[in-house]
Amino acid sequence: MKPNAENRLPSYAETKGVKWLLYELFDHLWPWSKQGWLQHKAIQTAGLAFAVAVTVAWALAANGRLGADALIGWWLGWSIYEIIIRMQCKPYIKDGPWWGHRYRPAGRMDMICYVLFKNLLIGALLFITLRNLGLLQMVS
Amino acid sequence: MKTRSLRPLYLLRQITRFSVLICCYLSLCFSAITLADSDKKNDHTEQERHAEKSHSGSYEAPLPVQLTTDPDLCAYVPCHDIFPYADRFSPRKGRPAYVEAYHEEHGQQKLLGYAFLSTDIVDIPAYSGKPVVTLIGMDVTGKIIGVKVLRHSEPILLVGIPEIALTKFIKQFVGKNAWDKLEIGKARAEGGYIGIDAISGATVTVISANQVVMRSAYEIAKQVGIIKAVPRPQASFSNITEEQSWDTLLSEGSIQHLTVSPSQVGLDNTGQPYIDLYFGYLNAPTIGRSILGERNYEGLMAELKPNEHAIFIVANGSASFKGSGFVRGGIYDRVQVSQDMDSFTFRDTDYRNLYGIRATGAPEFNESAIFIIRSTSFSAAYPWSLVFLGNKVNKQTGARTFANFDREFWLDAKYLQGGRPIVVKADPTWLKIWKSRIWEITAFIVILLFTAVVYANRDWLVRRSSRKDKRWVSAPKYAIWLVSIGFIGFGLMAQPSITQVLTWFHSLLFHWKWELFLSDPFIFIFWLFIIITVFIWGRGLFCGWMCPFGSLSEIIYKIAGKVGLKRFQFKPSMALHNRLKWIKYGIFWVLLAVSFFSMGLAEKLAEVEPFKTTFLVGLFNRSWPYTLFTASLLGLSLFTERPFCKYLCPLGAALAMPTTFRWFGLKRKQECTTCSACAAGCGSQAIDSLGVIDHRECMLCLDCMILYYDDHACPPLSKERKLREKSGLPLTRINAEGYYIPIHPVPMKGAEE
Repeated sequence: MKPNAENRLPSYAETKGVKWLLYELFDHLWPWSKQGWLQHKAIQTAGLAFAVAVTVAWALAANGRLGADALIGWWLGWSIYEIIIRMQCKPYIKDGPWWGHRYRPAGRMDMICYVLFKNLLIGALLFITLRNLGLLQMVS
Repeated sequence: MKTRSLRPLYLLRQITRFSVLICCYLSLCFSAITLADSDKKNDHTEQERHAEKSHSGSYEAPLPVQLTTDPDLCAYVPCHDIFPYADRFSPRKGRPAYVEAYHEEHGQQKLLGYAFLSTDIVDIPAYSGKPVVTLIGMDVTGKIIGVKVLRHSEPILLVGIPEIALTKFIKQFVGKNAWDKLEIGKARAEGGYIGIDAISGATVTVISANQVVMRSAYEIAKQVGIIKAVPRPQASFSNITEEQSWDTLLSEGSIQHLTVSPSQVGLDNTGQPYIDLYFGYLNAPTIGRSILGERNYEGLMAELKPNEHAIFIVANGSASFKGSGFVRGGIYDRVQVSQDMDSFTFRDTDYRNLYGIRATGAPEFNESAIFIIRSTSFSAAYPWSLVFLGNKVNKQTGARTFANFDREFWLDAKYLQGGRPIVVKADPTWLKIWKSRIWEITAFIVILLFTAVVYANRDWLVRRSSRKDKRWVSAPKYAIWLVSIGFIGFGLMAQPSITQVLTWFHSLLFHWKWELFLSDPFIFIFWLFIIITVFIWGRGLFCGWMCPFGSLSEIIYKIAGKVGLKRFQFKPSMALHNRLKWIKYGIFWVLLAVSFFSMGLAEKLAEVEPFKTTFLVGLFNRSWPYTLFTASLLGLSLFTERPFCKYLCPLGAALAMPTTFRWFGLKRKQECTTCSACAAGCGSQAIDSLGVIDHRECMLCLDCMILYYDDHACPPLSKERKLREKSGLPLTRINAEGYYIPIHPVPMKGAEE
C-alpha cells in the first residue's frame, strides 16, 4: 500500500500563476490520482461509491433538516476515507506559506491534520452558505 | 543514553511508570467530578446549605413543558418560596404575564404582591446563549422580595464556580426597588446607580442576570401601576405633505421590514417566511396620507385624541401577527411596541381595520391592521421598535421558550420640525464590558504585540545568544512568562481553554453570535492572537511563551533545576514520548465527540484541564480532588518539563493540528539529519532521529536556533570554525543558512597583468 516514489510530490509544483492556483484547488478537492486509481481499483471504486453517498447526505442537508450527529458522522467517515486514499495517491502536504511552492512528503499525522482541518473549513463554508440561503437547519 | 533507552526492560519500565501516572491523573480528574459536589457542601453554613439545596441542580434543570403556557404558573414553580404566607395565587394575567399572591385576613383577600417568570417578560440570553430562567417576587410597593433561579445553562457554574456563588449574587436583588438602577461592581457616582457584587469569572452571566431581574421587575411594576408613566416630549411634524410611493417610503426608512424565518422559531423550513412584516407610523402626514389616502388619513386623525398614535402593520407568512389572544382576552399577544424601557401592548379597542394600502407599488398582503398607542410615554420623535413575540419550540422536548424579534423605527428627520432629537443609546452589554476594562485591554494588547515582535525578531536574538549565554532569548521570554502567569492568568483570568473551542464548533453549527464571543474581551483578543500566530509560526508561540498554565509549569521546572532538583529531573525516552504524545489528541477528539451529544458532560470532562482550578477559582477554593489533580500536575513539573502540555492538554492538541500549516518554521541544516546535538537539548522532544522538527510538538523555545548560529556549539559550524582558524582564514559572518559566508579568492590585479 506504499505510494510510488513519483507520487511523493505534486507534478505541478513548478507551475506558476493562476494555473498553479487551479491545480492547488483541484488537489484540495480531489483526493484521487491516476496512479492511485490504476493501483487500487477496488478501493477507488468503494471510495467513489462513498463519495456519492456523501453527496446524497449533503443533498439531504440542503433539502431541509439533517441532525448534527448524522452530518458529523458523514463528515468524519469521509475524512477517514480521504486520509487513507490521499496517503496512497497524494502523500504530500504544503510546507511553509500557502502561497509558496514547497511541498513535503506527508507523515500519517500530517495527513490527518491536513484532511481534518481542510474538511472542517470546507464544511464550515458549506454550513454557513447553506444556512444563509435558508436551506439548512440545524437542531441544537 | 541512546543505547539505554532502547533496552526493552528500560522501555517497559518507562511505559509502566508513565501509564500509571497518566491513569492516576485521569481517574483523579473524573472522580473529582463526582466527589466535588458532595465535598463542596461541607464548607457552607446552614443558611447557605439551604440556599444551595434550593438551587442545586438548576444547571439545565428540566422544566415542565406547560410552564410557559399554563395559566396556573404556580402549579409548576415554587411561588410559595417567594410568598410563604400566600394562601392563593391568581392565574397568569396581563401582558407580559404575572400572578398575584393573596393572603386571607379576617375573611378578606389581601394582595401580598406579584410573582412572575423572567422568560415571560424578557428574552435576554446569558453566556451560554440561553436565558437564566428566574422566578421573581415583588411586593405591592415595587420592592423585590424574592428571586429564584429555576434553570440556567452556564457552563462556568457547572464545573468552575460553585452554584452557591449564583445564589449569593441573586440574593442581592432582594430589597431593591423595581425602578432602582443596579450596576455590577462599583457603582458610578453620577446617575444614582447602586453597585452589586459580581461573580468573579462569570461577568457575562451576572450582567445578564441583572438585566433579567431588573427589567422584568420594571415591566411588571409599570403594568400594575406601581411605576407611573413618564411623559415624553411629543413630536411636531414638518409641513411636508407630498405623497410618496411604497418603494420611496421603504428606502427612506418610513416603512420598516421585519422577517422571521421558521428556523428562528424552531420549525421546519417550508419555503416561505414564518412572518414577513412591514410597519410604519401613520400620524406623520406624509406617511399617513401615502399609506391610507387623504380621506382615510383625515378620518383617522380626527378620531385620535391628543397623545394618541397610530401605526400600521401588514404581513405575509405562515403565521399571523394578530394571533388569537384578542379573541380570548381582548389582547393582541403577538405584537407590541417598545420605546426605551417602556412597552405598549394593544387591546381589541386599539385595533382598526386597514382595508388597503394606497401607496403606489405596494405589494399584496394577507393581513393588515392599524393599532393605536394611547400613552403620553410614547413619542414619535424618538426611536421605537415593533416587537413580534414568538415562541421558540424545542423539537425534542416540545417545550416553548419566549423569543422576540424586533425592528427599530425612527421617523426621518425631514418629517420632524427641527429634525431628530439627540438620543444617547445604551451600549450593548459587550461594549459596556470593553469600555469598563479599557486600560486592562490596552495593556493586554501591548503584551501580545510585544511577544509577537520579540518572536518575529528571533533571528536577531538568537544570533546574540550562545549555548552558554541565552540571556537575549531567555530574558524577554521569562518576563513574558511572569506577566502571563501574574497578569493574564491570575489577574485577568484569561486562560484559553478547550471549552472555548467546543463552544466555537457548536456556534458555527447552530447559531453564531458575535456578542457571545465579544462578551469576554480578553479571551476574544487572546483567541485572535492565537489564530493568527498559529498560522504564522505554529502553536509554540502561544503554548511555549504565552499560555499562563504552560508558563507556570515550565517556570516551576526551571526553578526546581536551579534549587538542586536537577539530578532528579528526567526526560522520558523518545520512544515513550512518541507514544504518550498521542494521548492529548485522543482527549481532544473524545471531548469534541462528547460535546455533540452533551455539552454539559463535555464541560465536565474538560476538567482534565487544570486551568479553572489554577487561575479561575483558585487552588484552595475547590474541592480536594480538583486541587489534588492540579497540584499533582504542578508537582510533576518539578521533575519533567511540561508534562501536561506534552501529553494531556486537549487545547494544545487542537492547536497542534493547524500548526501543520504554519507559514514559517525553524531552520535546519543539511547536517541536522545526522547530528543529534539539537535533539539532545530539546526540552519539547520535538526533534526526531533524522533531525526533523515536529512543529506540532515544538514549544518554540529557540534553543535549537541558538545552537544553529553558535559556532562553538553547532557541530558542523564548530568544525568549520576550527578549520578556518587552523588555515588562518577569517571568520566571516554566519549567513541565514547557518554557515560562514564563503570566501572566494579573487586574483590580484597585478598578478593578472
